[in-house]
Amino acid sequence: MHAINENMRTAGGRSGARSIAVWDPLVRLIHWGVALTILLNGAIVEEESNLHEWIGYTAVTLVAVRLVWGLIGPAPARFSAFPPSIAAAVRHIATIMRGEKHVHLSHNPVGALMVYNLWATVLVMGVTGYMMTTTAFFGVDWVENVHEIAFNWLMLSVVLHVGGVVYDTWRSGVPLLPAMIHGRKKVPDDIETI
Amino acid sequence: MKTIEWFRSEVSRRATIFAAIILVQALCGLFFVSDIVTDWESLTSREYGHLAIETLATVALAACMFASMVELRQLLTRMAAMDDSLRVSRGDMAVVIESFFERWKLTPSERDVALMVLKGFDNEAISELRGTAQGTVRAQCTKIYAKAGVDGRAQLLSIFMEELLDGGVRPDHLDRDVSPATAGAALSRAPAAP
Repeated sequence: MHAINENMRTAGGRSGARSIAVWDPLVRLIHWGVALTILLNGAIVEEESNLHEWIGYTAVTLVAVRLVWGLIGPAPARFSAFPPSIAAAVRHIATIMRGEKHVHLSHNPVGALMVYNLWATVLVMGVTGYMMTTTAFFGVDWVENVHEIAFNWLMLSVVLHVGGVVYDTWRSGVPLLPAMIHGRKKVPDDIETI
Repeated sequence: MKTIEWFRSEVSRRATIFAAIILVQALCGLFFVSDIVTDWESLTSREYGHLAIETLATVALAACMFASMVELRQLLTRMAAMDDSLRVSRGDMAVVIESFFERWKLTPSERDVALMVLKGFDNEAISELRGTAQGTVRAQCTKIYAKAGVDGRAQLLSIFMEELLDGGVRPDHLDRDVSPATAGAALSRAPAAP
């Protein structure tokens, strides 16, 4: 029995790991789209330009589509697969400390908090950015300050996000970056998925 | 296997195009909404008709986008179901093959050879892969056919083909006791569960 299973698995071109489809194309396009807008607006495009505004609104639109997709999308993309829960995040950190290994097919609870944080920050930047273009809020200090603080927070979050991805790839042995490119998580056979 | 892989990549290509179309719709929606906001800010009483039509068009676009997202979700769900049933049927097939081999009391090396025969390798390839003489493989094949009660390769294959097309092992087959010698004559009979 075992021999044949082994045989069939290697016949499929995979050995020692199974590959599971997790990130659908819409999730992936939005992810890299938002990353691109952050890169463009944060480092390349001139502030207070028309282009800066349009790129910002594009980021907000992408996040908005993602939020709708979180309600009606397939299971791993839905909010119910990664509910925001600080308790779950603490439990997840505890299991890491104990050295247990299991793989979350969607975001892990700590990653989930980062995801909600990134979306919220992009939305705050979008709203304050729009407010700066209106006559009612043009030149108002606190709006500009919030936009600035949110940007710094976003940069810090991006660094933590990338760091988390690198760390989790090293810890669990599941390459997360390729999963966000072709959509499939390659999970070693001896590791359980949740 | 190749056909299934092709089919899967074809479906996932279609899903990616679908996701891209949804995002294009979203960005067009962004343009329309910003146009409405601009019009609203500089509104004179005569432009109400124009604004109403513009709003209607935007709402229609949003509805289309929502419909596309529902459609994409269904496509992705079908894809996931296909993945699942593929995994299950691979497992089922392994069980079916193993139970026949068990029934026929094949030796370990005969099992290897029989599996390669099922996969379509000819005697020369099998002898090369196993590092044995072609005469040995021929003798092993003869024993396998004798134990299975079939005339040759094609009939051996047809036993498993029948099993697949039949929809797998059925309870009424499990009750019937078919001796290995008559299994070839009655091709659609399944062996008793091991």
